[in-house]
Amino acid sequence: MSTDAMTQPIGDGLDADATLAALTERFSVERDPQDKWGLSVIVQADQLRELVGFLRYDERLCYDMLVDVTAVDYLAYPAWRGARYAVVYLFKSLVLNHRIKLKVFVEEGEEAIPSIHDIYKIANWTEREVWDQYGIVFDGHPNLKRILNHHEFVGHPLRKDYPVQKRQHLSINDPMLDELTARLRQLGFSIIDHEATTPSGQDPEGAA
Amino acid sequence: MKVENPAGDIVELMTINLGPSHPATHGTLRAFCALDGETVSAAACEMGYLHRGFEKMVEQGTYSMVLPYTDRLNYCSAMLNNIGFCKAVETMFGIELPERCVRLRVIIGELSRVIDHLVCIGANLVDLGAMTNFWYFFNPRESVYKIWEKISGARLTNTWTRIGGLYRDAYDGFSDDIRAVVTKIEHAIAEVRALIEHNKIFLDRTKDVCVVSAEDAISWGWTGPCLRACGVDRDLRKDEPYYGYETYDFDTVIGTTGDTYDRVMVRMLEMIESISIIRQALDKLEDGPINSTDARVRLPNKQAVYHDMEALINQFKLIYEGVRPPPGEHYDATEAANGELGFFVVSDGGTNPYKVKVRPPCFTQYAAFGEMIEGSLVADALPTLASINIIAGELDR
Repeated sequence: MSTDAMTQPIGDGLDADATLAALTERFSVERDPQDKWGLSVIVQADQLRELVGFLRYDERLCYDMLVDVTAVDYLAYPAWRGARYAVVYLFKSLVLNHRIKLKVFVEEGEEAIPSIHDIYKIANWTEREVWDQYGIVFDGHPNLKRILNHHEFVGHPLRKDYPVQKRQHLSINDPMLDELTARLRQLGFSIIDHEATTPSGQDPEGAA
Repeated sequence: MKVENPAGDIVELMTINLGPSHPATHGTLRAFCALDGETVSAAACEMGYLHRGFEKMVEQGTYSMVLPYTDRLNYCSAMLNNIGFCKAVETMFGIELPERCVRLRVIIGELSRVIDHLVCIGANLVDLGAMTNFWYFFNPRESVYKIWEKISGARLTNTWTRIGGLYRDAYDGFSDDIRAVVTKIEHAIAEVRALIEHNKIFLDRTKDVCVVSAEDAISWGWTGPCLRACGVDRDLRKDEPYYGYETYDFDTVIGTTGDTYDRVMVRMLEMIESISIIRQALDKLEDGPINSTDARVRLPNKQAVYHDMEALINQFKLIYEGVRPPPGEHYDATEAANGELGFFVVSDGGTNPYKVKVRPPCFTQYAAFGEMIEGSLVADALPTLASINIIAGELDR
């Protein structure tokens, strides 16, 4: 442990035009005019997974960190003509020190795009949050359940048509046994008996 | 629950909830664990117990009305959240802040980082049974809160910055107070380090406990002290400098193994670097205006309001409507105490934010918590939770 130990020094990063050129070689992307302060790129949903993989592993780009995933509901946006939703992915590269936003438009009624949970670990939870708040389904996600709101909650609160004052009665907590057993199976355990266990030190048969 | 484990043995697992309402979880966090004896076989984490709809609430008011909500994100360093939000909106406007404002934000921001680390380490050591350190750290922290009261009128939720400036200038004697308090903190850090650095219990309980590799940490999206503890030398103050951080002389502190020990010690040494930044900023602190003169965000001079029609209209519009950032979408990040605190702001050109998404640094750390504690002892899970410093206010929004 020392204060002067270094990992590799940080790179200079690729500027927006060079990044865009590298992407347009392989993908049909365009620059998003909404972001005047950084680089934001509009991507088609069917090219998303391939493009994210390219961002992650191409040595000119090296976007090794998924910073966040969120969505925008344009329902109330003045003079908006495009699709109702956009899912926004924020990436940065720790190696090269540059950032990029990806934007995938999602039409109302077809709220589904591919999941990238297997490319970045954090995508599992961030995609759950987008599903919870906006109701956008991530195809292939292993555990697409609510994360911020209660599991009995109905609707998606950050949609612009969700009433602010609406109240819901939520009572029963999430038993979470499904998640735990799924995790145990993933780790190589096989479940023989699901029954809730007895507290340690008590023998269920022996006790008189 | 009866299971066959990967080694082929039939074992009885006990399921148990760590939290959500337990002092050891330092907040309303729930980890549902399957235990094999004292060992955590698998864990599933749940969050959202402190969810209050931050992002829905802020859409209902003006940009200035967002600021008090940001206090309640990471409430251990409220002013860093104020600074983060203001910086995002100011970047959208393209406002240049006066030098004194920037220096004061750096001083207050770094001192906020220090007290955040004091809480984190102090509470973490209590989880290991070391109570004395907690008092050594909380006494100087209390002195900092006295300064917060003097500068902003509030202790915990300060709402001290404004878009384009600050609520108030520093009071007379501010520099002396800060210098005195950082000396006190330095003394406390020395005392605590003397207590723990060669303490066998502390070392046994933290060294090689719940190790996270650099590769995993990056994939989990970790930032801040927890990422640096894994040996990754990245800090937004160095990599994407803002507020003139490139002109200060300080080191980033990094760990080697990414265990609980590194996470504690990175924070410990980071406080010393922050104190050095505070002293440098105080040396360069000069008198001057604290607010931008940009008419789009700051109220005009009162004399002008009385004598000038445009200034009167400007005052009226700002009070009744609030600021209007140019339409567009912008993500802005600052290095908060826990890591990268980001605000994704969507403006439609109106007076209310169309959308604000917070990127809380501890969200990514809590996402990894389940995997971190699998295979470790229950007793080690709780200090590990404390060492990744989950603040439920920020996590659940």
